[in-house]
Amino acid sequence: MPTETPRKQFQSPKKPKQSPNNVKSQSSTPSIHLSPQTPQLPLRRSSRRSLQLFTSKTVDEMLDLSTPRKALEALDGIGKCSGNNRKGSSVRTPRTLKCKFNEEDREIPEMGKVGEGNGEVSPEALESKKRKNGLSEEGSVKMGKSPKCKLNEDLGKLGEGNGDVVSPEKRKKGLRNEESVKTRKSLRCKLSEEEMEIPDLGKLGDATFFPVSPQALESKKRKKGGEKRAVTRAMATRSLKKVNKEEKKGRKRVYYKKVVYDGGEFEVGDDVYVKRREDASSDDEVPEMEECRVCFKVGRGVMIECDDCLGGFHLKCLTPPLKEVPDGDWVCGFCQARKLGKDVEFPKPPEGKKRVRTLREKLLASDLWAARIESLWKEVDGSYWFRGRWYIIPEETASGRQPHNLKRELYRTNDFADIEMESIIRQCDVMSPKEYAKANDQGDDVFLCEYEYDIQWHSFKRLAEIDNDEDGECANGDEDWNSCKEDDSDTDEDMEYEEENERNAHARPSTTPQLAANSRKGRFFGIRKVGTKMIPEHVRCHKQTELERAKATLLLATLPKSLPCRNKEMEEITTFVKGAICDDQCLGRCLYIHGVPGTGKTMSVLAVMRNIKSEVDAGSIRPYCFVEVNGLKLAAPENIYTVIYEALTGHRVSWKKALQLLNERFSDGKKIAKGDDRPCILLIDELDLLVTRNQSVLYNILDWPTKPHSKLIVIGIANTMDLPEKLLPRISSRMGIQRLCFGPYNYQQLQEIISSRLKGIDAFEKQAVEFASRKVAAISGDARRALEICRRAAEIADYNMKNQISSVNSSTVKDVVTMADVDAAIQEMFQAPHVQVMKSCSKLSKIFLTAMVYELYKTGMGETTFEKLAMTCSCLCTSNGEAFPGWDTLLKVGCKLGECRIILCEAGDRHRVQKLQLNFPSDDVAFALKDSKDLPWLAKYL
Amino acid sequence: MGREKEKEKLSEKALNLLRSRLSDPNFIFRPLPDSPDSNYSKLKFIISTSVTEACNNSILLLGPRGSGKVAVLELVLSDLLQQYPEAISVIRLNGLLHSDDNCALKEIARQLCMEHQLLFSKVASFDDNSQFMIAMLRECGLAHKTIIFVLDEFDFFAQGKQRLLYSLLDAMQSVNSQAVVIGVSCRLDVDQLLEKRVRSRFSHRKLLFLSPSKEDTERFIEHILSLPMDSSLPHNYAAEFNGRLKKLLSDERFKELIDTYLSFNFTIGHLVRFLFQAVSYMDLNAGFLSLGNFKTALSSNQRQLKLECIRDCSVLELYMMVCMKRLEVKEQASYNFYSVMTEYKSIHDSFQTSDYYAANVCLRAFEHLLQCQLISFIDNKGHNQSVEFRPVKLLISSAELHQGLKSYQQCPAILLKLMDR
Repeated sequence: MPTETPRKQFQSPKKPKQSPNNVKSQSSTPSIHLSPQTPQLPLRRSSRRSLQLFTSKTVDEMLDLSTPRKALEALDGIGKCSGNNRKGSSVRTPRTLKCKFNEEDREIPEMGKVGEGNGEVSPEALESKKRKNGLSEEGSVKMGKSPKCKLNEDLGKLGEGNGDVVSPEKRKKGLRNEESVKTRKSLRCKLSEEEMEIPDLGKLGDATFFPVSPQALESKKRKKGGEKRAVTRAMATRSLKKVNKEEKKGRKRVYYKKVVYDGGEFEVGDDVYVKRREDASSDDEVPEMEECRVCFKVGRGVMIECDDCLGGFHLKCLTPPLKEVPDGDWVCGFCQARKLGKDVEFPKPPEGKKRVRTLREKLLASDLWAARIESLWKEVDGSYWFRGRWYIIPEETASGRQPHNLKRELYRTNDFADIEMESIIRQCDVMSPKEYAKANDQGDDVFLCEYEYDIQWHSFKRLAEIDNDEDGECANGDEDWNSCKEDDSDTDEDMEYEEENERNAHARPSTTPQLAANSRKGRFFGIRKVGTKMIPEHVRCHKQTELERAKATLLLATLPKSLPCRNKEMEEITTFVKGAICDDQCLGRCLYIHGVPGTGKTMSVLAVMRNIKSEVDAGSIRPYCFVEVNGLKLAAPENIYTVIYEALTGHRVSWKKALQLLNERFSDGKKIAKGDDRPCILLIDELDLLVTRNQSVLYNILDWPTKPHSKLIVIGIANTMDLPEKLLPRISSRMGIQRLCFGPYNYQQLQEIISSRLKGIDAFEKQAVEFASRKVAAISGDARRALEICRRAAEIADYNMKNQISSVNSSTVKDVVTMADVDAAIQEMFQAPHVQVMKSCSKLSKIFLTAMVYELYKTGMGETTFEKLAMTCSCLCTSNGEAFPGWDTLLKVGCKLGECRIILCEAGDRHRVQKLQLNFPSDDVAFALKDSKDLPWLAKYL
Repeated sequence: MGREKEKEKLSEKALNLLRSRLSDPNFIFRPLPDSPDSNYSKLKFIISTSVTEACNNSILLLGPRGSGKVAVLELVLSDLLQQYPEAISVIRLNGLLHSDDNCALKEIARQLCMEHQLLFSKVASFDDNSQFMIAMLRECGLAHKTIIFVLDEFDFFAQGKQRLLYSLLDAMQSVNSQAVVIGVSCRLDVDQLLEKRVRSRFSHRKLLFLSPSKEDTERFIEHILSLPMDSSLPHNYAAEFNGRLKKLLSDERFKELIDTYLSFNFTIGHLVRFLFQAVSYMDLNAGFLSLGNFKTALSSNQRQLKLECIRDCSVLELYMMVCMKRLEVKEQASYNFYSVMTEYKSIHDSFQTSDYYAANVCLRAFEHLLQCQLISFIDNKGHNQSVEFRPVKLLISSAELHQGLKSYQQCPAILLKLMDR
């Protein structure tokens, strides 16, 4: 079989290094599409597009030599290349090529059509078709597309290479007869073609293809260390798939968490430099240390980095020399001078020594790439691969470098690629802003990444900080998915075909039907679109004041590092959960937690679960599954079955079906899948909302834990202490006696909570915090309230400060939250504003209210009717020289007051018999109206 | 003639300008914001901090109807949308329309989809929509976008289980989002309506919208009614118009007039309505505002509806009402058509009036009174009973009735006499 030979060649990646002249020819090619400037994006896009067509060749051509393809690759690149082996092959092949051309000429018009219409034809689709025809052995067909004329011209010029532009239908017929003749030769040229020059292809593509989707990440190509091969991002992906498919029946990929490769240890989640292209310096020793920009020597004492140009300087090379590294930002003299508008020249390196660029410099000049390893595996042929997630530098984004971008900033993309481990240079450190701020002396390979860049929509999004958790879960899910995918290889092709479709759909959203974003089926379809086109400057450049930091840390949404004052309760929960999990039976485990709102019930449970999860990750506890349900977020109590079942299995069924299935699982001990024997912890928040008329929901849920083999643990949270007693006895007995009470916080605890959050921020007077916590402790003991009061107080202080600064240009404004601010916040939060409204309301309303109070004093009855009140009003008016406005107006006044709920009243159409009542104590009215300026006589009646 | 026409044209132009100003909330509330104590700047500060500092907030705007809560809010929002064009999306709900949690969430999802050009499905369930909302909150938070939820008539959302508020506020305290919930209500005790768990999550910023002070009102009237000197209107006309206006404003009678008007309802919305009316009465020939215009507007505002109703009644209806009043004097708490008829008959028997009608005619009169709401049924019970058996109640007080009879032109003297007895 002809397939044997290529395999061998493929498997030996350690080929002799490129011959020097070859290297030269490559590095000297004009790197049009590789230059990082954004204006050239469209060009690069198109080039990438054309490249994609060839991608799958690199690997699978080796496997199947039958296919007559190649015309395109052979175009320019081959002509230019001067590799030895290439020459040899080109000499040998002409005959085969000839006959090929004939065939090609016939077919190209069609191809052109296809190419133009789709932009990209998925090779998988073709391949699957072919398989069905029993051609699987022969490998896949690639569709090259380019206008006929161009191709012909080029072919004519080159007279070399065998074109593979074949439509699927043709291929089926044509291939058979020719394959045996061609294989060897075509293999030869194939090898040489690996050296093809992508820039040239890019040029070609430029002329022939229009840039399609916004998806284009530029055409990334890289050279493998030993082999001379240019691979694009897409190329890597495709080829791999194919290999995978071919060999699936036999062996499988082996996934690893950590791989030691070429002396380096690579783990999932690591960030690495990836080679991009072969150029002169990349074969040199990569400098571990940066050179000093002045003396051009490495080592010799401490170096300091300029925050502007990122150049390194020896402390003693500076003028004047520095003794130690200064705090804060430091800018070198050259940059300072440049900023002042002077023309500065960096010192030139000594003769004969070329300045060696570090990897970091190359990356930021986009001569290298960085990627994050998402998964690692060994291919069936023994080569190691990883799935990488590209990072890009700001210049490569649609919006270009923005003024607030840091020098060492990268963006994570949503663009993945399968890359061979060969191309990894070494590890680098891409950090979140928090880590980055701490990383002072971690070397040169430190980068900052705060945003994700969507290559389709060109929009930015912050990376979620809690991403890690979810990533972990996602990864698990993926693995499951992968494994089952590999189990049934029949459906596999379809799946990949679908994947391909999906990809295309993403690329051209207009042509494919969209799913609704808010429906379950759509699963937030298109939500990725949400993102900013530009990162707003105020977010990055603004330096937070103490008050703003205080506000941020007091937010309810910010998770504090430590959870003070609930240690005892948390310990209790921990022992409960651990005891339940470690027990083999998990019989009848149920915990009821109660306490007023804002006492940290849910937070404590979740913190405990986080701790336990980390222990599970560490391996000291067996895995379990955790389901969280909130009673108030369910549309109906019965829906809880659906939610639980979905959380456990991922399938969504109606609640009746879910109940039946859950009953089967928990009561009858029927296990559906293999993961089901894990204990399950069910957290039900706002348990009281599940109480239905016959309380069947609660009964069912609390009944399951009592069943043997159910392995279910229920933690219920609610506000009322006596909820179990209010329930039917059969339910409260099942709920068990294990209760945990979260009492309201007292003022010391509140104070501790607040000050633990404010640690390190000097924005509050000490008494102010104490005042706030005492006040809240006296009213409710609700930590949320206390935090909100402090935040509001900080906000008020901030507001006052900003106003004062804008009005008076004095720097004497103190930015500390005082008692007065806290008091204002408390007033705002706890005091109903009725007194102020009464003070400012209209004259008639005041008289009306006075009459109400007067009537109340006179009769001692809270409730009165409008008729009586109107009489009183008219009495008051006439005896004090006011004009009585008439009953109808008075009625309207009453209704207005009723609208604000200062008084309670019936609807206005009751008129004379309308019942009225004060909504606030009469003392408040008296207080508000006593010293009203326009109606001083009111005081007499109050 | 031609000059007169031109003048009329001028004054028409001025009138149009004034009217368009009066119906434009932006113009009305624009001069108020400057000071740091104004609600405008406070509200703007709170919302813009959550845009720039990425935090969640919830605010209540309280104040009587017509005090400009929504108008100021819209002003703030339009300013902020200009300032941060990409970063804000506003979701508007009204308690009168969306008090049902399910449909409120659906509406939120719809508006979010509209805002971000996503496809919206009508059939999505409550769970789907709430998950979608939370996902959107998260995504928008990551993309530095602020979602502002404006809940008008907030008190209607604070009913029942308050699922919407709970899921919204709970998401805001657990997800790293930037969202602002703005509740607008005229009920001062609206935060007491919130369920305890919802209240605990609500961040209780309150902005109180009060009536303007007297000086503010005067300044406000001048601001609205004076013509701009640099518009298409001729300079001397505008100058004269403003001069006369100033004179009018300093007039004691005018001040008194405004006082009387505002004594009943002291809000900006109320005042604007009055000014609109007054401006519309402007004499186009004269081309200037006069005290008379304001007087007419005031008198058209001070209508005594019940008295007017009495004026429209027939004599028989007056008889019926007087009978009811007499029954009430006799301490008969409830009466229906037949007891009124008995009284009517007894009056007729003792005084031999000329206005005696058959029972079916009287029933028609009785029904008319019911329609005018001068009388009403005491309770809602007995819908299946026929009208004449249901107990009724007089909705007009005896003082009003007396006044109405006096102003009634063909009122029989006997009725007034009967009233007194």
